[in-house]
This record gives sequence, structure tokens and C-alpha cells, in this order.
Amino acid sequence: MDLALTESQEMLRTTARSFMEREAPVDVVVGLQKAESSLDPNLWAKAARLGWLGIVLPTEYGGSGDSLSDAAVLYEELGRGPLPGPFFSSGVLGALTVLEAGTEEQRRRILPGIATGERVLTVAITEPNTSWGPHGITLTPQSENGSLVLNGTKLFVSDATSATDLIVAVRTGDGPTDVSLLHVDAKARGVSTRRLPGFLSWQCEVAFDNVRVPVSAVLGEAQRGWAAFSRALERALPLLCSYMVGGCQAVYDKSVLYTQTRVQFGVPIGRFQRVQDHVVKLVNHLDSARWTTWEALWKLDTGRPATASVHMAKAVASEAYLEACNAAHEVHAGMGVLVEYGLPAHTQMSRTLFHYLGDPRWHKRRMADALEW
Amino acid sequence: MDFEVTYTEEQQRFRREVRAWLEANVGPSILRTPTSVEDNYQRYLELRGLGRKLGAKGWLYATAPAKYGGGGLDVDHAIILEEEVDRFDLSLPPYYDSGGRLGSASILVWGTEEQRQAFLPPIYRGEVRTWQLLTEPGAGSDLAGVRMTTAVRDGDHYVIKGQKIFVGSDNGTDRIWMIVNTDPKGKRHENLSWFMIDASLPGITIHPMELMGTGGEGGTDSGVKQTVFFDDVRVPAFCLVGGENKGWTVATTHLELEHGGGGRIGRNRVWDRLLRYCQETKRDGVPLSQQQDVRDSLADIYIKAEVQRLFGVRNFYLTYARKPKSYEGPQLSYYRKTTGLWMTGAILEAVGPAALTTDSAWGSQAGFLETQQRNGIVSVHPGGTTDIQRVQMARRIGIGRSTKEKAGTVHGAE
Repeated sequence: MDLALTESQEMLRTTARSFMEREAPVDVVVGLQKAESSLDPNLWAKAARLGWLGIVLPTEYGGSGDSLSDAAVLYEELGRGPLPGPFFSSGVLGALTVLEAGTEEQRRRILPGIATGERVLTVAITEPNTSWGPHGITLTPQSENGSLVLNGTKLFVSDATSATDLIVAVRTGDGPTDVSLLHVDAKARGVSTRRLPGFLSWQCEVAFDNVRVPVSAVLGEAQRGWAAFSRALERALPLLCSYMVGGCQAVYDKSVLYTQTRVQFGVPIGRFQRVQDHVVKLVNHLDSARWTTWEALWKLDTGRPATASVHMAKAVASEAYLEACNAAHEVHAGMGVLVEYGLPAHTQMSRTLFHYLGDPRWHKRRMADALEW
Repeated sequence: MDFEVTYTEEQQRFRREVRAWLEANVGPSILRTPTSVEDNYQRYLELRGLGRKLGAKGWLYATAPAKYGGGGLDVDHAIILEEEVDRFDLSLPPYYDSGGRLGSASILVWGTEEQRQAFLPPIYRGEVRTWQLLTEPGAGSDLAGVRMTTAVRDGDHYVIKGQKIFVGSDNGTDRIWMIVNTDPKGKRHENLSWFMIDASLPGITIHPMELMGTGGEGGTDSGVKQTVFFDDVRVPAFCLVGGENKGWTVATTHLELEHGGGGRIGRNRVWDRLLRYCQETKRDGVPLSQQQDVRDSLADIYIKAEVQRLFGVRNFYLTYARKPKSYEGPQLSYYRKTTGLWMTGAILEAVGPAALTTDSAWGSQAGFLETQQRNGIVSVHPGGTTDIQRVQMARRIGIGRSTKEKAGTVHGAE
């Protein structure tokens, strides 16, 4: 048993933390919030040079071939920002989906561009019914003259406004998991993307209006899309959790510092047990998310059955990030809702990731199924 | 990271040895649920007998130093012992021995060499069992406020008088590990002292308290607590551990262990049995575990139990890898207590009123759910209330006071 980071993980953490301090301090993160696209070209190029965009990809596809646990160290640091950008959508979920679903030719064609940052992927699953399961996928391509034609809408697609390539889950049969994945050029005629306005972070609408793709756009085998996506998701989710752990950590650090320095009634407010209770609640959520996430990562990296652990980690981390932000707002009161202070960026992100790829109730039910109760 | 304790060949060999020994020495009789007070006492004697046998092998206090009668084993072996004993739903020691566990750890850190040689071997060999005496009617959460029980120096002796409550278990004790006030006019935190004394001394009277249930910080607990009266009890001055009025310093070791600082690797016995109950119990022809609302409740309960397990694993790692700790000890304690309390409601909701009865026809097996309904509530207080744990956490996080508080040392305890 060893719950410490390895030496190389410690080094990665140091690099990532100083990158964040230098390139993405609070004012940068706050400044990006209103942009239509989450991708900042300058930050993106630097992250690509550091090898972070292909961190989970095998070296044969241009990646750095790191373990998920290594990548988790990076994602915790990104989450502390919370740094916007399709790091997860493209570099993790997009990359792993192509890796799991694609033919060898498709992998070689698509994946290296993800690692260099030239291609930006996002995976479009959910529709107006907001389901994260295969039964919710109703978008059905029509065959026309050897092409597939798409008409319909995908919703709450992360970072679609910065994507160059879309992986679109479509229904191709009557069975519950008769789902195929289509590789669609985000700039193709008939594709329109727009960031949904409101209290959510770069969740987009993607509309398809007579979008024509060749049959060869199907990733791998038709009808096997959901199984491949599920395998990719199992490996991807813990890194989204790590991002949320980093978010919890940042919110915790801010809260501790604030209780030590904010003086009311002549003393730092941390002396008040009511205030302490918020911090205690926060750190309990932080640690719940941290250790369920790390255990899931460890199981995946060592080839152990991890399905239940992954679902648990997503349920716990989503709840933790949301509750951590709530507690931080109780600590900070007025200061916490000042946009420039940076807490609102976390709060909005916590709400976004709460439901993204399945909310806690959804994952708890999948966990129970996986445990075969 | 590596969450698994990997077993070496030597550990596997040790496991076989331990398992064979336990199977030969832990009979079904010792695992029975007592049917009467007399039967309970007989079972207690059997458990003490088992303790002595374990002690003779150095397996009762496996990591305690061999020169004082402990096992002198490393953590790798202690883990095997704990896991194997756990298979029988027993702990080490297999009976309530709070003062032995916590007192011996304190004596190792703060006692003199003569005291270690005198006090530790009987504990480690299972020859004595020891209760710890902390709480008084006027000093519960505020342990530093102990003042009703005093010790006054008189030549080579101290004379103890006063009263302690919420003490021990049933079936009596051999030794007493207690904190008393040795300077009623002294400053707070500079007026307390610890004693390790013989429980059979003249002037000690033990009187049972009836409680709603049991609840402890670990170890086998019977659910019975006592009031102990001290009526001018003369104890040798040798029994004073850590120096007169140095009791608060000694208490840091004690409290760190009691507040979960040591950590634990083990399964959640309530969870295992709850799941089995829900799989085996049908309502309207459908197992509870197949009903969506029950599954949702079970998922919430399981996750809390898992987080608690992970906090325990983390603390275990921090302790034995000798990494610095801050708020993690009281965090585990707080989480365990609040989870247990919350679970009483969650289980009641999932299972219904069957959780409340011990009836052999309509309740759960051996009434284990009814036991949890009581114990989840009782466990809120022993070893420090949930509120005290939160205060501890805040101080160690560095927000409760002007200076950050450090975790107590437990390393001498190995």
C-alpha cells in the first residue's frame, strides 16, 4: 500500500501548478468565462507542447502513453482553475472514444491531431430528453445515395463551439444499444453550434440540418458504438472526477484563507464554530471525492474490475463539487459572489459537471447494477 | 498509488499459520450470542482465555514491543492477524480493553522504563484487562475540566477520591487507567495526571449504568457502562504516569488514537449483513434489493460506508508510513459517527419497522438491525462528540485558533 504520488507524478504536479499560476491565474479564468469558445489558442498551444493533450493516448498515436493516474495529477491542477477548454472533451473523452471505437485507419487518421491540438473533438450524446443512457439516443441518420443524412439536435455538448470534429451518437437500430458513432466535421455544411446561455459552462447545442456524411464516417463497426463509448467513458470519467477534485481543493483553499483573514466582530471569522462547520463540511466532501476517485484510477490502471468504483466516484465527486461550492458561498457571503473573486467560475462549473455525463442518481443506479445487488 | 496491501510470501505463510491456529482455538461456543447474564459472563471468561492464548503467542498486541511482552511483529503481520480475527467477527483484543489499548500506548510514549516493565507485560499477554476512566458528571466533552476526581500526594502514595462515569463494559476489570485532577487550584491543562492502578484496591465501588445501546470507538463492546466511585483509594505513587500535572500532554497520544488517528482496514459488518438481509427478504414477492427505492437507499448507504472505509485506509497508511497528519484522525471519527447516526434513518427507511424488532420471526438475524438502530445513536458520544471532532478538525486546519494545532504522536504506540 502506498497512497503517495510517485516522483514523476510530483514533478508533473509542480509543472502543472506553475503553469496554472503563470498562464491561468484567476483573472484569466474569469476573463474567459464569457467567451463563446472555451478554447484559448495561446493556452492550447502551450498545453500541446507540454504533451498534455495526448496524455492518455498511446505513443503510437502521438500521445505520451501516461497512466490514468498520471493524467489525474494534471486534471486536478486544471480543475483548480477551473481552466476552461476542451482538455477533457477532446484530450480524454474524445481521444478514448476514438481509441475504443475506431478502426486502426481511423485511429491513425484522427488521434495524432488530438495530441498536437490541431484537432479538437467532442462527443455528442445527449438530446433534448437529457438522458445519458443509450435509450435516450433518437437521432437517426437517413441513408441517401451511399451517404448518411442527419437532421436533429444534440444538447449539452461540452465545448462544441471550439471543436473541429464531432463524435455523434446516433440510433441505427431498434435494440436499446443499437447505437453507432459518427465522425462529423464540425464545420460541415448544415452543422451549427452555439453555446447555451446561462449558469452553465460551455455546454452547447449542436444542430444538424441535412448534414451529409459518408458511410465511412461510422467509427468502427455500426451498432457497436455504445459498447465502445461505455468502455471509453469508464476510463474517462475518473479524470473528470479529478478535475472536480481539483475544483474542490481550490474552493477549500480559498475558504480556509478567507476564514483566516476576514475579520468581523474583532476576530478572524474562522474562530466562529458556525463558520468552521462550513469548512469541515467542505473538506469532508473534498476528501470523499479525492479518495473515491483515486481508488477508481488505481483499479483501472492495475486492470482490476472498476465499473462500480467509477460510477461511485462520479456520483461522489459531482455531489462534492456542488456542495463544496455551496459551503464556500456560506463562508464567503458577499465576497463569494463577486465574479472577479473567482468562486463563481467554480460554482458554475460545479453545476455544469453535476449533470454532465450523468448526475449522481444516475451513476448510483449504475453502480448498484454493477455490484449485482 | 497502491490501495492494496500486497502480501509477501512470508505474509501468506503467516496467514496460513494464523488461520489454522484460530480455527483450532476459536470454537463455535465462543461466537455464540449469550442467552443470559450468567452465560454472558461465561462467554466473557472464554474470550479472556482466548486473549491469554493469543497473548502467549504475541498475537494479542502484535505490534507492541516484544521486550515488554508484546508480539514485536511488524505491521505486515499485524494486518494479517486483524484480517483473520475479523473473519470470526472478533477484534484484537477479543474483549473490551480500552485502557489496555490506549493506556499501553500512552505508557510506551510517556512512562518510565520501570513503569513500562511493570505495566505493559500483563496487558500485552492478556493477563489483565483495563478500563479507561475519563468522563465525570461535570467533565465530558471538556476533558480538561476534570476536577471531581482528585489525587493528593501522601508520602509514597496518592489518595484518590471522586467519581467517574460512562466507564468500561460488563464483567468487571483488573486495572484502571484514569485521569484525575492533582492541582485543584492549578491552571487549566496543568493540573491533571494519569494513573494506572489496580481495580481491586479498597475504596473502589463499581455500579452499572443502563444505556439505550452500545457504541464504542472500536474493540468489542458489551453495551454496558459503569459508574466508578473512589473513596479515599490509596495508590502507590509509582502508578502516576508521565509526571504530576503533566496529564494533558500525555492525553494527546491517547486522544489521537481514540479519535481515529490510527486508521483501520476492514469491512463494514453492518453493510455486509444489511445487503444480505435485503437480498433475502421479500416484500410483495420481490426481494427488497430489487425494489428501486430500496436500491437507491442502499446505494447511498454503501457509498457512505465506502467513503468511511477509504478514510480509514488513508489514516492507516498515514500512520504506518509515518506521514504527517493534520485533521484526518478527527475527520474519520466525525464521518463514522455522523454516518452511523444518519444510517439509522436510512436503514429504517429502506427496511421499514422490521429494523426495530429483535423478534426472531419478524426481525433481522439476531436483531442486528435493531442493534444498529440503537448503536448508531449511542456512538455519537464515546471518544468525543461529533461537535468535539469538528472543533479538533478546525484547529488542525488552522482556523479555530491563532496557532495551528498539531496531531498527537502515536508512533511510540507501535
